[in-house]
Amino acid sequence: MMLDEPYRWADAVSNRREYVEDQLTGGSPVVGLGYKDGTLLLTMGRVQQKIYEIYDRIGMASLGHPTDIEKLRQSAVDLASVVGFNYSDADVTLQQIVHFGLGPAVKTSFDEVYRSPFIVRILLAELDAQDGAATFYTVDYDGAFQKSVGFAVLGGNAEADKAMQGRLDDLDWEKLSLAKAMDAALISWAAGRWMGEQTEIPEDEAELEKALAEADLPGILKAELESLVVEAAVFDRGVPGKCKYRQLTDKELASALKPYRAAQ
Amino acid sequence: MSAEGDFLDLLKSGGFKLPGGDLSGRTPSTGATSAFQPTEGTTILALKYRDGVLIAGDRRATAGHSVIYDRADKVIDIDQYSVLAISGSPAIAYEIARVLEHSFLYHRRRQLQEMSLEAKLRRLSLLIRDNLPMAIQGIGAVIPIFATFDNAEKRGKIFFYDALGAQFESADFSTTGSGSPAIRGVMFYMNQWGEQRFAELDRDAGIGLVLRLLHTASEYDSATGRFEQGADIFPTVKTITADGLSEVSGEELGELYGRFIERTPGL
Repeated sequence: MMLDEPYRWADAVSNRREYVEDQLTGGSPVVGLGYKDGTLLLTMGRVQQKIYEIYDRIGMASLGHPTDIEKLRQSAVDLASVVGFNYSDADVTLQQIVHFGLGPAVKTSFDEVYRSPFIVRILLAELDAQDGAATFYTVDYDGAFQKSVGFAVLGGNAEADKAMQGRLDDLDWEKLSLAKAMDAALISWAAGRWMGEQTEIPEDEAELEKALAEADLPGILKAELESLVVEAAVFDRGVPGKCKYRQLTDKELASALKPYRAAQ
Repeated sequence: MSAEGDFLDLLKSGGFKLPGGDLSGRTPSTGATSAFQPTEGTTILALKYRDGVLIAGDRRATAGHSVIYDRADKVIDIDQYSVLAISGSPAIAYEIARVLEHSFLYHRRRQLQEMSLEAKLRRLSLLIRDNLPMAIQGIGAVIPIFATFDNAEKRGKIFFYDALGAQFESADFSTTGSGSPAIRGVMFYMNQWGEQRFAELDRDAGIGLVLRLLHTASEYDSATGRFEQGADIFPTVKTITADGLSEVSGEELGELYGRFIERTPGL
């Protein structure tokens, strides 16, 4: 194949997009949401861990191929740890990890048409960054990254992202308790799940919005909780010491999920 | 597949060297005296008391006969349950402590599990051995005490090292540094024939004993600093229990100093 011909190259890239997007579509969405005392990361899955501590105040959640996620996670930990040692903990920032580490690595792998691309979408969170209490970055499979403050979401595709965002747009996240943030994140997750499962997406945006509004999101959560477990971790300012990461306790999870559990 | 995931290897691949690393190719000194006086210091000690381990050190750093600094912190937190107390050359000891702290965290984040106690001890041993050239030249030996709480066995543990990296576990207590000869025998005597064995001491009595021991060391060793309430210089005293690591505040030390040192009766 003559990939040096421009139209073939464009063709190859477009094939690649289609291939990767197809792989990602069924993935379990991930939600990042700031709240009063910190930053929450949430997703649902079977048993495999999907939310990780990268550094003292930086965490990562993602969907995609487990080995690709692992490679990128490890390189993020390496980068952060070396900077933290050679400079100081305060010099480790999410911006640096994304701009110099993950972004270029994912882009390079996507551009190398002869090698398989990373099949991942990554969401990263930073507590108390220079420019906000809860800062997020998302890195897409083609290396495109996006920064946001307050919340960030990743679903299996762009439509799912939009549906999830819609559940969080109007939140006054800085005032949320952890329990309220958990609930908002769960509903946002359900919206992403619902959208990911639509085989035919209405072209008309208003129609789509209407269908989503009519979707029984608590019902989706109830059904999914039969087979999936919620994984949630926070970077909590209340955790003593410099490492702010902690997983949610069973009690915190149980109380957040109570409304969605079938009565025993 | 390479066995990646060791923090020191990662640092070395980026050109990192321990302070002594540059000397490794050179011939050790023949013992001729040099004008260079490395900064060193200290009395550090650790003992097992009722709830876990007490670990403490004075605050003085010296070079030859000069006092360089009277507020040095030689009892360094490594993680939530571990402390490294250092005697010898602070330049290298601080670097070892830093490498160790970052290694443990790196391991947890990268391997997604805490490093085992055995592995932690091994890492420290290797770092001390890496410093061998400096130790041989007599300008940078580091002889630390590592104290931790073993959550599997539910008890505190104390380890000490020689300058070559050999590791020993102490049954009841350990002390190193220039002031340690003055109190080593005292510790043995107190534990053996004192009113209470160290393992039975409660927190206050344990801290009181530690303050007395440091005071005794400072009486006979010029490189060991004293408690100076007026200047706000307190020894560093930390406890390691099942709840983790905690530092005894200066305020509390001041109060216990009054009770245990300024007043003479026994414990």
